[in-house]
Amino acid sequence: MFKEMQSLANAQMTDASPHKVAGFYPYADNGGTLAAIAGDGFVVIGGDTRLTTGYQIYSREASKLTKLTDKTIIGSCGCWCDSLTFTKGLHIRLQYYLYENNKPISTNATAQLVSNMLYQKRFFPYYVSTIVAGLDADNQGAVYSYDPVGSTERHRYRAQGTAGSLIQPFLDCVLGRGNQTAPEPEKLTKEQAMIYLKDAFMSAAEREIGCGDFLQIMIVTPQGVEEERFKLRKD
Amino acid sequence: MSNSYPVNTGSSVIGLCFDDGVVIAADTLVSYGKMARFFDCSRLYKVNQTTIAGCGGDYADYQFLHNLIEQKQIDREANEQGVDLSPRALHSWLTRVQYNRRSKFEPLWTSWVVGGIDEGKPFLGFVDKLGTAYKDSIIATGFGTYMAVPVMRKFYDDKNGRITRDEAIGLMKKCIGLLFARDCSAHNMYEIAVVDANGAEILGPLRATHDWSNVKEHRTS
Amino acid sequence: MALQELLQLEKHASFGLKSVDDVELSEEIEELNSEKLTQLPITPFTMNKNVQLRDSNTGRHIHINMEKGTTTLAFKYQGGVVIAVDSRATGGDFIFSGSVKKIIEINKYLLGTMAGGAADCSYWHRSLTVRCRMYELRNKERISVAAASKLLANILYNYKGMGLSMGTMIIGWDKRGPGLYYVDDSGSRYSGDLFSAGSGSPFAFGVVDTHWKYDMTDEEAYELGRRAVYQATYRDAASGGIVRVYGMKPTGWVKISEQDCKVLHYKYADEKMV
Repeated sequence: MFKEMQSLANAQMTDASPHKVAGFYPYADNGGTLAAIAGDGFVVIGGDTRLTTGYQIYSREASKLTKLTDKTIIGSCGCWCDSLTFTKGLHIRLQYYLYENNKPISTNATAQLVSNMLYQKRFFPYYVSTIVAGLDADNQGAVYSYDPVGSTERHRYRAQGTAGSLIQPFLDCVLGRGNQTAPEPEKLTKEQAMIYLKDAFMSAAEREIGCGDFLQIMIVTPQGVEEERFKLRKD
Repeated sequence: MSNSYPVNTGSSVIGLCFDDGVVIAADTLVSYGKMARFFDCSRLYKVNQTTIAGCGGDYADYQFLHNLIEQKQIDREANEQGVDLSPRALHSWLTRVQYNRRSKFEPLWTSWVVGGIDEGKPFLGFVDKLGTAYKDSIIATGFGTYMAVPVMRKFYDDKNGRITRDEAIGLMKKCIGLLFARDCSAHNMYEIAVVDANGAEILGPLRATHDWSNVKEHRTS
Repeated sequence: MALQELLQLEKHASFGLKSVDDVELSEEIEELNSEKLTQLPITPFTMNKNVQLRDSNTGRHIHINMEKGTTTLAFKYQGGVVIAVDSRATGGDFIFSGSVKKIIEINKYLLGTMAGGAADCSYWHRSLTVRCRMYELRNKERISVAAASKLLANILYNYKGMGLSMGTMIIGWDKRGPGLYYVDDSGSRYSGDLFSAGSGSPFAFGVVDTHWKYDMTDEEAYELGRRAVYQATYRDAASGGIVRVYGMKPTGWVKISEQDCKVLHYKYADEKMV
């Protein structure tokens, strides 16, 4: 049974097809970049709004961030059909949680739920990069990142997606400050975090074709969620 | 794996939001590989007075989904009088159906442009065989993404997004003309679906002329 | 609808192949109970080494990079068990994280280590944690290390050949004294005095095999574990970050140290110069 299923999955060029198409593949890489920075009493998460396939731009206004509660945001990118389905499924689970417990779900419970949901599809993964950003029980900023099958860790800052490997080293430099001898900077403010986030995406848009158009930022504080849009390169 | 490749296929579909409505256009050719096989197959569908859709890709899969959507609309009319299938609802439903079929490795090899009036505002959305979906004011599938989108985008930006119904229909005709000239699997017979506050209608079949002047207009060299 | 039922009409005619209705087309959102958490759905498609993935639209190769790469180490000595690990997770050539907790605290008397797919390890250890706690509640005593490791091995055997990637040690202290088991994705389970798993394990083995003595003091044993993992981070590109050392004692596990391997490097370099 299992062998049969595998050969199905491996089916490639089909002779009967009148078209020169390769066999069916269930995944696409639709690009997208996410980054989040946590601080004392706030967390900011940004995602570009470009949706691509190969060199072609599907849309310049596809939002990758979803507000889950007043304290939690999820960002998801990669295979867009998987992202859509995953966030939709998550929404349903969160509604169940709300009805059963009569309170919105906490950020760290969301973080664990996301991990379990991703792992449920271990043998046919959602091809997505995910970040959950929110405030924890003490109103401290929290950033959780995930691989496609749900491996997760809590970070202070994190970048994911096509330009993740460009932005993460930048954040490591300005926020992680590993192996640096210069004196520790002052405590990170929300305003400074926003500047870093915009700088990071601006620079990434210069060097990565899958990143551009607009940067959508969501700012979470105990007062609620604010949203900001920032223009990026459109080429 | 009953259907993991397309057989009889339609080519591009293009769509555009104008001031108080949406237009979608597609030619009426269904090809078998490189052979032009059926010349008068409508690929545009008026679902109801607020919703229209156009489909490219495998024509059998389109007909299958067409039947399901038709039944959905009939159910609405029978059970919930006055509550029509809105474009947003249809777009969302198609996304789920396409995604679930791709997850079963039995894709419906189609790409859709769904348009209409949703809560008084124009709505235009795209869905493909994987369940990739997005909303935009300009959408094209297949070869239209290369040929028609730049022309539509320029027109849209020149007018600051303020386009009348007649201008939008004119633009569709121009884009179909361009596709007819350059896309070898396109055809000169086509239809245009228009929806605005007054309702939906499908214009055509219309004929594109062998006019290369508007192609030259867009040549860069 | 009444008329439809009267005439026994199918709403969507299926014409024999299968019924086509909304249920067929939609996916059920199921409750995530503990049974569902262990029984993962098997789909027509399974991520494994033989499956080549391409982008549906562009035909480009797609790599699903799961976090990997490790040095983990555990050995017995007269005072108990020493567990030492690094903290680097890589996906392709990219360092996903330099601060992974590869020692998983199952309960006060049980530890697991993480090598291979990070998600596989953390998920199944979490599942094991639930089962161990259930055992405790049902039997009014702690689960033995042998039983705990066997639970994990049985689960992994069920998924054998389906692409899981795990090489894990289960370390604990029970009625029989210190316990150390190695369990991997093939479903096999071994008891022993010394195990190391991950890409850096050959280097760690070299150090421990050279210097190991049963009669080591606690401090000597901890230092040996630390040194072995440090040497692995030095020679293996896929290992690095923080060297974590835990000890397993009759009273449960103790966290001994968590040091950046950079700090250890200069410490050991200084010792060589003297």
